[in-house]
Amino acid sequence: MLKNHIKLFLRNISRDKSTFFINLVGLTSSLTCVLLVFLWVKDEVVKDQFHANKEQLYQVFRHVPNGQGSLNTYTSNSSLMLKALQQEVPEVEQAVAIFRINGNAMLQTEDKKLASIGFFASEDYFKLFSIPLIEGNTNEVLRDVNSMAISKRMAENLFGQESFAIGKSLIVKNGEDGLEDVFTINGIFEIPKNSSENFDFVLSYKKFLQKRDSRDIHWGSNSSRVYALLKTGVGIESFNSKIKDFIKTKDSENQASVFFGLYADNYLKNRFVNGKRSGGRITYVILLSIVALFILTIACINFMNLSTARASKRIKEIGVKKVVGAERNSLVLQFLTESVLLAFFSMILAYLTVALILPWFSDVTGKQLEFPFNISLILLITGIAVVTGLVSGSYPAFYLTKFKAISVLKGKLPISHGNRLVRKGLVIFQFSISILLIVAVSVIYMQLDFIQSKNLGYNKDNIIAIERQDGLVNNMETFLQEARMIPGVVNASYMQGDMTNFSNSSSNHRWPGQSEESKKLTFRHAHVGPNFIETMGIEMKEGRSYVNEVPNNNSKIILNETAVKLMGLENPIGTVIDMRGPNREIIGVVKDFNIQSLYEEITPMALVCRSEWISTLLIKIKAGEEKKTITALTQLFEKFNPGLPFDFDFLDSQYEQLYLAEQRVASLSKYLAGLAILISCLGLFGLVTFTAQLRKREVSIRKVLGQTTSQAFIMLSSEFIKLVVAAMVVTLPIAYLLANDWLSDFAYRIPLRIWYFLGAGCAALLIAMFTVAGQSLLTANSSPAKALRQE
Amino acid sequence: MLLQLKNIFKWVNSGGQRIFLLKDVNLEVSEGEFISIMGPSGSGKSTLLNVIGMLDGFDEGEYHFLDESVHSLKEKHRSNLYKEYIGFVFQSYHLLDDLTVKENLEMPLLYKKYGSSERKAKVADMLDRFNIVGKKDLFPAQLSGGQQQLVGIARALISNPKLILADEPTGNLNSKQGEEIMELFKKLNDEGVTIIQVTHSEKNAAYGSRIINLLDGRMV
Repeated sequence: MLKNHIKLFLRNISRDKSTFFINLVGLTSSLTCVLLVFLWVKDEVVKDQFHANKEQLYQVFRHVPNGQGSLNTYTSNSSLMLKALQQEVPEVEQAVAIFRINGNAMLQTEDKKLASIGFFASEDYFKLFSIPLIEGNTNEVLRDVNSMAISKRMAENLFGQESFAIGKSLIVKNGEDGLEDVFTINGIFEIPKNSSENFDFVLSYKKFLQKRDSRDIHWGSNSSRVYALLKTGVGIESFNSKIKDFIKTKDSENQASVFFGLYADNYLKNRFVNGKRSGGRITYVILLSIVALFILTIACINFMNLSTARASKRIKEIGVKKVVGAERNSLVLQFLTESVLLAFFSMILAYLTVALILPWFSDVTGKQLEFPFNISLILLITGIAVVTGLVSGSYPAFYLTKFKAISVLKGKLPISHGNRLVRKGLVIFQFSISILLIVAVSVIYMQLDFIQSKNLGYNKDNIIAIERQDGLVNNMETFLQEARMIPGVVNASYMQGDMTNFSNSSSNHRWPGQSEESKKLTFRHAHVGPNFIETMGIEMKEGRSYVNEVPNNNSKIILNETAVKLMGLENPIGTVIDMRGPNREIIGVVKDFNIQSLYEEITPMALVCRSEWISTLLIKIKAGEEKKTITALTQLFEKFNPGLPFDFDFLDSQYEQLYLAEQRVASLSKYLAGLAILISCLGLFGLVTFTAQLRKREVSIRKVLGQTTSQAFIMLSSEFIKLVVAAMVVTLPIAYLLANDWLSDFAYRIPLRIWYFLGAGCAALLIAMFTVAGQSLLTANSSPAKALRQE
Repeated sequence: MLLQLKNIFKWVNSGGQRIFLLKDVNLEVSEGEFISIMGPSGSGKSTLLNVIGMLDGFDEGEYHFLDESVHSLKEKHRSNLYKEYIGFVFQSYHLLDDLTVKENLEMPLLYKKYGSSERKAKVADMLDRFNIVGKKDLFPAQLSGGQQQLVGIARALISNPKLILADEPTGNLNSKQGEEIMELFKKLNDEGVTIIQVTHSEKNAAYGSRIINLLDGRMV
């Protein structure tokens, strides 16, 4: 019997190739999209889930009132937190502190030098985190002040073979932190593939504490990240409410409260709004999964629609089979066999397509995806194929087989009004989703474009950012002086951190006339060089800037507009602020400029002219002379750093990195929207072709009675165009709400204008019109005599 | 006796009025009979045939088929009954376009769960008996109307029914082809198959042993 079903299936295909083609293309491309999204989602959700302790492993966050009515969340903590947790909190089993070295550090052997990323970590790091040590002992690897561990890759690069590395010594240099010490390699680790963090070396935290100025070790100085393993059975809710005021018991001035967040959640739920985890990557994971399922649904709808539309062709077969003794079950089975076979066939094609385009997809998503070929995957895709087949086949299978044989054989088409309504409803649904996706893509693109072109308050064009490393550590000023002599260089300066991330903050500042509320203000804080404001093109509001300032004169400060406003200062210039250290006089106020991403509002900001902890050199060059200037800069760099490649970034491309997630989602959804509209139109095309055939007789009769070709054309096309218009009406309000919701996450966003939505709707309408027009024209043009003779 | 209809009524309600399709039909058919049902268009000929063939129900009356009371049978039993004992022949043949002659013949056997070798034997036998072995791999569209109807009859006969119901079997054929088909029916009847046919043609009706005339759903 099955053989028979398959045989009939194949003959049906060869007889109605266009329908088969539409279904095959639709199902294959949508299944491809489902598989790709599945691979992407799988890669996202397993990130950082490999830690054996993940259920108990927490990161210690600080929540600080920002003086604007809500809480800001910080990942950094005082280095004092580690001991305090270990000694005073019985629920904590183990704790670890790490200090991230800003930018690259230089690892140097006798004959090799490599820039790489790493951090200081306290002793238990490799016990808390399941990063396996290939060589070395988790208990000892970071115990000594001069001990370190390096990655397998780094060991191979430096020593040729990992086993040669153990016990060897390395010089580790980093400009910003004034680090230049010899470490002994005590362990070699290999970072699991699913780790969200990637680094090449870990140094002993004891070295960090040793090098740290003891004046900088207090509860207000947040240098480190702290992780803790809670004992099993500790309820996190009650623990969090107990630990909340931990910092305040140490330092009554401090506004920060403590919050333990599951480390394994950090990757997917990476955004905090007012102290609560609020979305992040998880939003995109959910969004893309839904879109993939929608696209599959669109393809399934095509199958259902075309099957029921073609009912008149199949219905005779059903009637005859019923008369010669087929039971309904066996007919249902036959139809389901057909749809499952089709889905299966599509799945095989989809699988091959995925294998083919995976490198491209990895590129678009910025991931390294692999397509594993194993039993569980085969079971899964078989499962998807079967479910897809059953879903798309169920409606035609049960609908078409329910009629009495005799009514079918009498030649009456038992297609009810209700059935046509269902079909129309499904078309509306398809186009609703397509229009929704078009709106989504355009809004995301416009917002990204807005962000790229927004006036940030500084000019990010033609600024080269160079990391301060190696030879630049001691000779930064000389390097900059010589750089300024290059004809193409407009200005040059330096700063702590970089323009997209002022990670340091300070609080508890005092000034005359301070209000109670403004005591809580937290300032973003950065060390900058002389001429920083000029190099960056930041505008002054009042006072003076640090032009030709001699750095490290600890008596001056420049604030931004927001800071002055929130501090409530009428005449800021000359006001002296007590910064729990030196008193500083406000010498200038800059107009607000954006750092961080535009998700965030501008916060109070303080710029101090100091040459310590500098990580980035900034060089403004003349437009149009980039090539020449960069060549000159390269030569200069080589003079200071023989043998080291001149590694630099343009600031605007650094800025783009901030929106990498959005950009990737945007380019992904671009393809998904294209696919959705393509599959919808394929379905529409099939439907139009079919009804055009059905209505040939009607059109002929109308033409005999005097209808013109153009009237016939309008009559035929309008039937479907109406559906697309209906989809527009249904979808656009929903699209508006969704777009508004997405944009509300941004502090700076585009306004939503009606034409974005009408434009998306019209685009869908236009595409649908093209789809419908051809067939309608053909039918409208056909000769009535011929069509009626066939009757 | 093969079947018996007692006081059969069938109606539809249209606009508050009851329109009778069959009105108090009484009919007894013995095995080996060849009956022709005649009457003008709309007189209920096909309806009667469909009721006899259990493809259509009725509203009142009794129907006995080989000791079974059809009117009180469940759908499933009824379909088993007609599957086993009744074969249908249609005016427009109703062959499946996607299947070859051989496969069209084989189809009823598939639904009756015959084994593969048995199916082959029966199909070969039927092809032989109807002299269409050479056409077994052709599709219906490649055959003339008469040949298609031949296949239709062969398909109706393949599972050895006691009763053949034919709804204007020659309606789409020219006179020569029609004659051949009627001769075939005659021959089958001689071999013992009971036949009930609906026809407009006096000449075709004459092949039968008995003629039933219908007018407005009533036997006259």
